[in-house]
Amino acid sequence: MKTIAVIFGGRSTEHDVSIVTALASIIKPLELTGEYKVEPVYISKNGSWYWDAKLKDINTFRSGEIEDLMRKSSKVQLSIDDGLTLIKSSQFAGRKQYKKIDVVFPAMHGTHGEDGELMGILEMANVPYVGCGVAASAVAMDKVLSKQVTEGAGIQSTPWVWFYAEELGRSYDKILKSIETLKYPLFVKPAHLGSSIGITKVDSKDQLMNALEVAAHYDNRVIVEQGVQNLVEVTLPIMGNDEPIAALLEQPMLKSEDFFDFETKYMQGGKKGGKKGGGKSGAQGYSQIPADISKSLYEQAVNVGYDVYKTVGCTGIARVDMLIDTKAGKVLFNEINPMPGSLYSHNWNKAGVSNVELVEKLVDYAFARWNKSQKLATAFATNYLKQF
Amino acid sequence: MISIVLGFYGQKFPGTIAYMLQSTEYQVKPYLAWFWRTNDFSKVDRRRTLQRTGRAKLIVLALRLGMLLQALLGIVLITQGIRIGQSSTIYFGLAVLLSYPIVWAHLITVPLLFAKHFVVGPKDRRLVARSKEVFTAHDAIKIAVAGSYGKTTMKELLLTVLSEGKRVSATPANKNVAVSHAVFARKLKGDEDVIIIEYGEGAPGDVAKFAETTQPTIGIITGLAPAHLDQYKTLDAAAKDILSLADYLQDKQVYVNSESLPLKKYIKPSFHTYNNKKVLSWTVSDINVDITGLSFVMKNGKTTLKLKSGLIGEHLVGSLALCVAIAHDIGLSPAEIELGVAKTAPFEHRMQPRPVGGGWIIDDTYNGNLEGTRAGLELLAGLKANRKTYVTPGLVDQGKESERVHHELGELIAKADPDSVVLMKNSVTKYIQEGLKKGDYKGKLSVQTDPLKFYTNIDQLIAAGDVILMQNDWTDNYN
Repeated sequence: MKTIAVIFGGRSTEHDVSIVTALASIIKPLELTGEYKVEPVYISKNGSWYWDAKLKDINTFRSGEIEDLMRKSSKVQLSIDDGLTLIKSSQFAGRKQYKKIDVVFPAMHGTHGEDGELMGILEMANVPYVGCGVAASAVAMDKVLSKQVTEGAGIQSTPWVWFYAEELGRSYDKILKSIETLKYPLFVKPAHLGSSIGITKVDSKDQLMNALEVAAHYDNRVIVEQGVQNLVEVTLPIMGNDEPIAALLEQPMLKSEDFFDFETKYMQGGKKGGKKGGGKSGAQGYSQIPADISKSLYEQAVNVGYDVYKTVGCTGIARVDMLIDTKAGKVLFNEINPMPGSLYSHNWNKAGVSNVELVEKLVDYAFARWNKSQKLATAFATNYLKQF
Repeated sequence: MISIVLGFYGQKFPGTIAYMLQSTEYQVKPYLAWFWRTNDFSKVDRRRTLQRTGRAKLIVLALRLGMLLQALLGIVLITQGIRIGQSSTIYFGLAVLLSYPIVWAHLITVPLLFAKHFVVGPKDRRLVARSKEVFTAHDAIKIAVAGSYGKTTMKELLLTVLSEGKRVSATPANKNVAVSHAVFARKLKGDEDVIIIEYGEGAPGDVAKFAETTQPTIGIITGLAPAHLDQYKTLDAAAKDILSLADYLQDKQVYVNSESLPLKKYIKPSFHTYNNKKVLSWTVSDINVDITGLSFVMKNGKTTLKLKSGLIGEHLVGSLALCVAIAHDIGLSPAEIELGVAKTAPFEHRMQPRPVGGGWIIDDTYNGNLEGTRAGLELLAGLKANRKTYVTPGLVDQGKESERVHHELGELIAKADPDSVVLMKNSVTKYIQEGLKKGDYKGKLSVQTDPLKFYTNIDQLIAAGDVILMQNDWTDNYN
């Protein structure tokens, strides 16, 4: 039986979303396979690492018991000596507990985890891990960088501009001038955050400053995008390495004046104006799967999804968000998410992939990528040092 | 090792004993049998947990107090022995101290035995005697339903169909023993046209006693299969008990399911048979079954009935056809019959389909015999699905036949050829695996050690287009 560490939580605004992804969509099906010993590894909001069987239980977090557990437990250390080993002091006479990890399943969302930082540690440890690699994660999690990379490959986006948050105070006029090249409505976003946190829809100039300040509060870079007319917003989960496969094109059920903010996504089960917490959690129940668009637009969107996935260099899993101008028949790349919340399992289920099968496949992809990487040469014999 | 010791001496032990008593319905013999075959008391409650009823709380409290007192007595004896330097007292004190779990696990049965023989037993006998008077005085058509399987379903179908044109009352749920019949009799209003009584046989002589008390005018025998063989020992003994219903009716007005192969050799010429082709002078044709229900046509002379039901499985057509025939005989109109059949729907945990994530889970966990399992597997084999999964822990109460029955079950599963098979680990798992091997099963096989966790999370296994069939239940008292 292989040991798999599921890492979740983290120093991110999406800390809580990550807990739900890990516990409901990853650990539960992994344990049902009967093929893995699952070790939950939780990163607290201040960045400390914990490893304890109780972390598999959602009640630990719901009841606030997590605070007690963190106070009593020793923090986890990592050994990255040819593989990853978790180390913590046990409660018995300070003896240390060691757990060698065969494969890691990162369930991180947002900064300091989904953005490539965690993947860097795992690469250094030379341990197989699920999901996108360092570079793809970093590019995907940066809305500016991902647009620059995909535009370089000829993939169209809606017009956009960006600036550093610190410029807001000293160069507002310059920023405003660049924004004036775009048509309202605009969408102001922090460059690195997911789950729609810090995003504001701006319909007129007088709302702009507030929106820019909100985004700058969360991130060091801010991106401003032009809205799309005759909009149908779609998203496409994709998984795989060299030969990726797509789930079904999903269409969030929103009115044209709305957009998918955090409240809609996670707190209302997708129902705008609905009772808080009254709907289904996560992405279930608020979208049309498959998207209700013409066959040619559907195919076009799937192709754009694949192009983005490959251009950014994704492996394992990702979700590509696109904007469709239905009158113009144009599919525009919007964002790419290297670790979709809850793995977007509701969509995979409709595409015929069960939760258990989904995590099994993702772990298989992790091993396949790692095996391939082991064949690459990492040493080169030279006489260079002899010169000194 | 630590968990075994903690399970025996830990603070959860009284709760575990109460759970074991509750799960065996406070019957001393099966409780003690379970107690003595249990090695690790920390792992007893795998499928369910203790329901904290008044009786359960009282038992836990009595056990805690008794155990505490015995442990204190042991400590006092040891201390006394050390003080006076008498090793025999020390050893006796140690024995008293260490034996408290085993002593109280047995002592707790004393009040249960007392209550059974001196309180509950006489009270039940009085109730049953009074119910006989009620049944004798009642002039309704009294239909008794007996058999190793399918009797609750048959009873419910009759109730649904006949209620369209008659005042009908039936024993509730699976309450099918003498005391349940007596309680049922007390609730009868007296104006019923039809009374349906289910006979839950459990040991030789049961059915004859039920018939003597309830005095049926029509008897239905739904099938014969290995069940309760720990009591009956042989299938022949079970058949004789079930067929004592026909003896009571002097072989008149007896309806027997001829699709039940083991039952065939007991069918007498005077019996009426029913199946999915013919019942009395009715013929059955045009059967269509899918996961949302079934439809079929019945003809009798110039009368043609087009029938639709929410039930799934072709094996249920015969039972529905018998309901139609009886309904017609007792005066229901064709329209009432069609409406009654249309109202029949799957019962809880009996071939009950549930849509999940674009796929279907068919819950047949109340099925507890090989014939029902065969019917479910035939349905699974015939359904169209992306992937088919079959889940079973095996069949309980199979006595000495267990090995043969589970070999056959394995072969039946292999014949249905689902994409994956999930077994719950227990004493019969290896026999099912051997049957699967003999049947040359090539699909994916997994054995789960935590059934509760598996059943709770079964939605994790299903995706659009999939079908999962769950059959049989293996409660903790069979571990």
